[in-house]
This record gives sequence, structure tokens and C-alpha cells, in this order.
Amino acid sequence: MNAAALETFAIWLQRPNFLTFIVVFLWGLYIMIAHHNLIKKLIGMYLVQTSVIFFFITVSAKTGATVPILVDSDLVRPELYVNPLPHVLMLTAIVVGVATLGVSLALTIAVYRQYGSLDEEVILKQSRE
Amino acid sequence: MIPHLPALIFLLPFAAAISMPLVSLVRVTWCRGLTLGVLVSMAVLSFVLCHQVVEYGPFHYPLAGWPPPLGIEWVADGLNGLLLPILASLACIGVWYASPTVVDGKGRVYYYTLVLLLVSGLTGILLAGDLFNIFVFLEVSALSSYALVGLAGGRALISAFRYLILGTLGASFYLLGVGHFYAVTGTLNMADLAERLPSILESKVVITGLIFMLIGLGIKMALVPLHGWLPDAYVYAPQSVSPLLAALVTKVALYAVVRLLYWVVSEQVIGQELPLLLLSSWLGAVATVVGAFLALSQQDLRRMFAYAGISHIGLIVMGVCVDNPTGFAGGIFYLINDAIMQAALFAIAGMVMYSHGICEIADLSRIRGHMPWTLTALIVIAVSMIGIPPSGGFFGKWYIILGALEASNYLVVAAVVGATLLTLGYFVKIFERIFGEREPIRGGVQAEGPLPMRVSIGVLAGSTLLLGILSDSVIRLILDHALPR
Repeated sequence: MNAAALETFAIWLQRPNFLTFIVVFLWGLYIMIAHHNLIKKLIGMYLVQTSVIFFFITVSAKTGATVPILVDSDLVRPELYVNPLPHVLMLTAIVVGVATLGVSLALTIAVYRQYGSLDEEVILKQSRE
Repeated sequence: MIPHLPALIFLLPFAAAISMPLVSLVRVTWCRGLTLGVLVSMAVLSFVLCHQVVEYGPFHYPLAGWPPPLGIEWVADGLNGLLLPILASLACIGVWYASPTVVDGKGRVYYYTLVLLLVSGLTGILLAGDLFNIFVFLEVSALSSYALVGLAGGRALISAFRYLILGTLGASFYLLGVGHFYAVTGTLNMADLAERLPSILESKVVITGLIFMLIGLGIKMALVPLHGWLPDAYVYAPQSVSPLLAALVTKVALYAVVRLLYWVVSEQVIGQELPLLLLSSWLGAVATVVGAFLALSQQDLRRMFAYAGISHIGLIVMGVCVDNPTGFAGGIFYLINDAIMQAALFAIAGMVMYSHGICEIADLSRIRGHMPWTLTALIVIAVSMIGIPPSGGFFGKWYIILGALEASNYLVVAAVVGATLLTLGYFVKIFERIFGEREPIRGGVQAEGPLPMRVSIGVLAGSTLLLGILSDSVIRLILDHALPR
């Protein structure tokens, strides 16, 4: 292994959060593509959504900082405060994700009542007949 | 100037959607009237907004009175000022068209609630002044369209499920891109982003984020390699839903792409770092030809129209991405046209199915002599889809080709011409089936379908012709007011 590749590897290892994000995102994507069970597809979908939320939180995380409430307003030191906006955005994204999950579970129940199965292969075979 | 006009246009359908279940408790028959009333007043307000934007220039509306750095703002400018009235009127016509098919008690409440939610979500995408709001409203409109597709039951359920999986994946990709932009600029407001992005051109984060967003929106607008969800969803959706979805959902996602490419990422970014517009126009060329080929090979009428819609999305992308005002105006003009034509095509297919139970092209000969009005409308729409002069479709394609020649992008010219020939091909296939038989088949009844269906199809077909006749002034309007900066 040459030095440049080693350095790249070291840079990657210094960012475990981004590595986690990539792994979780791709894992979710893989589950959505590879599994035939509808519930498993939903789990994959939720992993993808959660990984994006994780990405936002990672970007905005800060060690040793506190909530952005000014105690004495004469001096603002940005390194002491966490930017609240990404967290608030992700609250909205979580709500959107919950709503999506609700709709998808309702659809899954309806599919199960219609076809008596949650396996996509079986369902497609039945609907072709 | 009415100060709260943008908020009012959004809040009307939203509040009506929220109150719809309560209204249905009082009397179920009021739902339709309420929905139509809300949509008509929304259309009127959007025309007022359009007029004010043309008269006084774009205006910024800070929500709850908080100005942009802290608050969220909505922006009404020439582009969305032009598209909002189209959205509202098409929704209005679509709901009125569907009223004879939406009869049973509970489904009716769901239908009207979801349609209003869909319309308010799409309005939100049009008006949003920052990237995260576009994500939220994309999901509001997408969630209601999944539910609308699933309303039909049966095979629609599994298509709705697939639509949901792919749509959510698209939204996640989009959100990921937004995250990249936020990480390097610290803002989500489009105007602020346009100021801060040029100074960090060399950043790979910007390009990566942009590509993620384009993939996400590409799924939402069914650009060819990402179109898998669309045909099934539109074919198995209830007849009352597919004209609305086909006309509005993909077009509004395309609008978001236009906003992103021209208003957020300014031209120098995409010009220098990577030839994004050129690549997109090639993607559009592939989309339009592949979509048209797929349409040519279909046996099911609605599936053919769904692929026709996919093909025309490619056409609009090409027009918007040839990177000069002529092509841009042609693309936006074609977008308006295509929304009307898609609504009309699915309305006609739905009506043929409603009155004669026909959905295969092979059975279409049975409608000859029984549905003269519908056939006339179909011929008018076909003329516009193919692009024969008096219609709106012709002028759209004309300006797209002019723009492409101006940019000497000959692939686009070839693709537009090829798509036109293929469009001619699949309409010939339909008309050959209808008029080709020597003897009209006996039996069957003279049935056109209920009055609302007939009138709305007539209005849609007429308005494509009207757009063609008024094309000069509409193009002028786009060139004067809707061009990016």
C-alpha cells in the first residue's frame, strides 16, 4: 500500500460519523433493492431516511458547546454555541419520515388483505393472473 | 397589492383539506362543492398574483413577518406566477371531470381531502423560497399522491407501494443534497445560496450535493432511467386521479429542477465546474426518444399515454437545458402545454373506460361512431402532441429547436425530431385501430359519458389550441418576466 492511499485511509478513519452514514445509507438501499418482503423494504427505506438525518446531525454536531441562548449579550462567541437550525430541520424531517412510514404501513396492510402475502414475487405473480 | 396573497393561495386548499372530514360529518355531498369552490377561488387568486407579478415585479413574502435570514420566505416571480394559475385551473378541471366517478360515501371524503392536500403541496413547491421547504412540500404532495393511487385498491396497491418506496428514496437523495449545500454555505435560502455559491466553486461538496438533488428530483419527475414507478402508478390509479397526477406531479418536480439549476446554482458554477446543462440536455434527449419508443410498444391505452408523458418530460428538460432564452421559453411553454395535454389524454382514456369499459388499444374500434365528441378531442390533442402548427405543442417544439440551433446542440434537434416522428407513430397506431376497420362494429350504445367529463375534455382540448394561437404573447410573457435574473 503506497503512502497516498494510506493517507486517504487515515483521513477516512478520522471521520467515523461519515463512514457510518455511508454504510447505513447503502445498507438501507441494498435492503430496499434486494429483499422481496415488503416490510423489509420499508425497514430499508427507513434506514435510508435515518441515515440522512444522521448526516445532518453529524454536520452540525459540536463538542463542548451549549444551547444557543445568550446569557450576557455583550459578547457572542460562536464556538460556544451549537447551531440549532439543522436540529430543527431534522425534527421536521423525522415528522415527514413518520408520516411516510404511516402511509406505507397502511398500504402494506391493504396489500396483505388483498393478496394474503407480503412477498413481492408472490404478489406480482398473483396480480399477473 | 394584496400583501398576504401567496399565503392565502396556499392556505385555501390546505385549510379546506383539514376541514374536509368535519364537513363530511355535516353532509357528505358538500365535499365536492367545497373542493370546487376552493379550487376556483384559488385559481382566481393565482391569476391576480400573476397579474401583480407581471405589473410590479417579483415579491418576497416573509412567513409570519420574519425576514429571510431568520425566517422563511416565499417568493412569487414571473415563473411561478405563470405556473400557479395553470396548476389551480388544471386541478379545478380535473376535480370537476372526476365528479361523476367519485360517488361512494367514504371514498369521496378521502378523495377530496387528498386532492386538496396534493394541490397545497404543489403550491408550496412553486412558492417556496428555500430548499428545505421544497423538500417538505415535495413530501406533502407525494404522500397524498401515494394515497390517491392506492385508493383504487387491487393492483393499484402494489403500484402505490412501489411509487412510495421510490418516491421516498428520491426525497432522501434530495434532502442529502440539501444537507451538502447547508454544510458549506450555512443557508438554505435560494437568494442567499445564489450569492454564496460562486465563491466556493472549487468545492466538491457543492457538485456532489447538486448531483444528489438532481437524482432525487429526477426520480420525482420520472426522467428516463428513473421512471420505473410512473406507468404502473398512473395506469392502476383511479380514473378520477390519473389526469390530475399526470398533469401536475412530474411537472412541478421539473419546475423545482429549473429553480435549482438557474436560480440557486448560478450559471457560472455549472458552466465552469462541469457541463451540467449540456449533460442534462443529453439526458433529456435520451429520455424523450426512449420514452417514445416504449410508448410505441404498448398495448394498453393508459400505459401508452404514461410513456408519452415520460417522453415529453425529456423534451421539456432539453428545452430548459439548451442554455439560452429561446430554448428556456420554449421549454416552459411546452411544460404548460404538456400539463394540459397529459390531463386531457388521461381524461379521454378514463372516459373511454368509464363509458365502454375499454382499456386495450385493440378494442378501440368499438368507440367509433359512439363517441364523436371524445374522438374530436383526441384528434385535437394528438395534433398538439405530435406538434402540427395551429396547436400549442408545435410552438413549444419550435422554440426548443430554435434554441438548440442557437446553441448548436444538434443532438437535441435530432431528438426533438425523432420524438415527433415516434409520437406520430403511436398516434397513428391508435387512429388506425379506431378508423381502420371497414365495417363499424354493431352493438354498443351511443354513450359519451357524463356532462362534466365531456365539458372538461372539450375545455382541455380547446385550451391547447388556444395556447397555440396565443403562443406569441405567452412566449413574450415568459421571455419578459420568467427568465432567470
